[in-house]
Amino acid sequence: MREKTFPRREFMMMVVAGTAVTALALNAKGLPKFTESTSPEDQVGSEHQWAMVIDLNRCVGCGDCQLACQARNDTAPGASWVRMVESGELNGKPINVPVPCMHCQEAPCVSVCPVKATYKRADGIVVMDYDRCIGCRYCQLACSYGARTFNWQEFTGENPAVPEWGEPEIPRRPRGVVEKCSFCVQRIDRGLAEGLIPGVDPQATPACVVACPRKARYFGDLNDPDSPVSQVLKNHQAVQLRRDLGTDPRVYYLPAANRPDPEADLTCG
Amino acid sequence: MKTKIQRYSFPLWMITLLLFMAWGLVGAYQVLTQGLVLTNLTDLTPWGLWIGIDLSSIALAAGAFSLSAAVYLLKKDELKPVARTAVFIGLLGYTMAMMTLLMDIGRPDRFWHALVYWNIHSPLWEVTMCVALYFTVLTLEVIPILGRADIVQRRWPRLGQGMEWVHVLAPILAVCGLLLSLMHQSSLGATYGVLASRPFWYKSTLAILFLVSALAAGPALTVFASKTAAAITPRAYVENWRLDRVSHFIGWVLVALLYLRVWDTLSMVYTHQPGRTEALHMLTGGQFAFNFWVLEMFLGIIVPMVILLTAQLRERPALHWLALLFVVIGLVAYRWDTNMIGQLVVFSYLPEQIVPLFASYTPALIEWQVGLGVIAFGFLGFSMGVRYLYVVDHRLVETTHETAPVRSGHLSAAEGR
Repeated sequence: MREKTFPRREFMMMVVAGTAVTALALNAKGLPKFTESTSPEDQVGSEHQWAMVIDLNRCVGCGDCQLACQARNDTAPGASWVRMVESGELNGKPINVPVPCMHCQEAPCVSVCPVKATYKRADGIVVMDYDRCIGCRYCQLACSYGARTFNWQEFTGENPAVPEWGEPEIPRRPRGVVEKCSFCVQRIDRGLAEGLIPGVDPQATPACVVACPRKARYFGDLNDPDSPVSQVLKNHQAVQLRRDLGTDPRVYYLPAANRPDPEADLTCG
Repeated sequence: MKTKIQRYSFPLWMITLLLFMAWGLVGAYQVLTQGLVLTNLTDLTPWGLWIGIDLSSIALAAGAFSLSAAVYLLKKDELKPVARTAVFIGLLGYTMAMMTLLMDIGRPDRFWHALVYWNIHSPLWEVTMCVALYFTVLTLEVIPILGRADIVQRRWPRLGQGMEWVHVLAPILAVCGLLLSLMHQSSLGATYGVLASRPFWYKSTLAILFLVSALAAGPALTVFASKTAAAITPRAYVENWRLDRVSHFIGWVLVALLYLRVWDTLSMVYTHQPGRTEALHMLTGGQFAFNFWVLEMFLGIIVPMVILLTAQLRERPALHWLALLFVVIGLVAYRWDTNMIGQLVVFSYLPEQIVPLFASYTPALIEWQVGLGVIAFGFLGFSMGVRYLYVVDHRLVETTHETAPVRSGHLSAAEGR
């Protein structure tokens, strides 16, 4: 009968030994840090919390924001970081919804990235490390807002939006990585370094906000009660897309409503 | 005439497989140089045929860990020769999975990033780590088999002896393999299951279903391949009573799978949930209905369950063989359907848009080209294993294992009894 007994003691010894070895290995290596630093904003808790508000009453879907984004971030045609989606209509006019990255505070893409190529900065911006991305595209499946594009091929040649809509401010991403809207993090960081106020000073504000001819977009610091976004959110009912998912987007929308638009006669520039 | 066919069948088979592999390599080269733009993958359907092959290969390799655990932890010594086959198939399966993954990721040159830059919250990171570690385990488990190879024994007998000695590690490898496999076989389901952006996937049952279905199909492929090899070539020799034990076990796993799968599907019928309900309709009444009802449920679970649990039916070689084949096909269908449907029903995030949009995906020729190349590699590996390494030989193994030099140490205690 002894032949058949389960070698419990050996088994336990092996489990204990295995655990000990693993623990030692982890200890020696040290658990990796949770945030990788690319900007001073990462290192400590930031005093800023950046957010965007898009007024759907004003947006006419002209696409200027897309062109400005394409130029400043040097994105390939057809792979825009801000999609323009039609969603229903009001008084016979289509409602246009520009959809950039939502910069979710509980971002699924950040949780699922196997290599932490996508991470959230202390100031609330979800950014990507294009040198680290392996191109597995798991984040595309995880994103609830379809905000991510994959570089199926190398973007070579001219950018049709340059120079009319501005000069590129960041290097082109290589083939084989995912990319997405960064709230023009390069403009924010440079602006702050120069003492400018993002959301107020155009050089420090995301290109799409600056480019909008209808002034449908607001940008600013939620921690600053005087910032454009704080003011708008204080005075208007704003919504987040799919709030029920608990992603807590940092892009808010003022829904299209049956109210007289004071600037309805503005024409698209 | 017949002897001529027999004489040339192996070289012909090899040449066919090599041609497929060469064709696949051409495709792989094109994709690696020109990019994934050559595929039919899109931003809406970023995971396609290759991920399907990857998932299937890993699941079908599950015979390795389950049979090793049966032999070295549950002391089912009679399954030792079957575990030997399973481990070899396992190594091939994981190699195939890694080949397709390498093709699928946009930056194959950075495949090692997951090992260095950890995101412990990502199921995919966990899968990558487990697969890497388990591949090491499988390699160690296969080393003694390679050491037995005639050419090694003849030319480098001492090396061969050393390689066979690695077998002493078998029990501890079985523990590691069991742990790692239980983890990543389920995490592959969890990879989908944690995504709230895909209502059809977003559920805890996916992890369990992926594990249980692998537990049925992995051993099924092992037994199927053993029986097939034994029927074709005298170099493979099986003792059916051993395989029968495994098949019986598969039958019971299929009962569990049927139970879980029925409840999993039924629970989605109640309450209209945007995205999930449309996906369920696609599965049970839409373009995937045949896959679901026929391949997954009827042929994939019910028919083999009945055959493998009924001794009289199991005794009929053709039925038994078919049942195992159906289990394998059912698993591939399940992985394919799950992966595709979650992507084809595009998540709705706009308040006015309750009804989701639908995407479409048909693999491009180049995806088939590379995919078939990888599958041909698997067939080639197994065929050569049968011919030169005797991976399906229930006589040989007994003696090998008994005479394997046991050099002291507490590790051999569990094995030496």
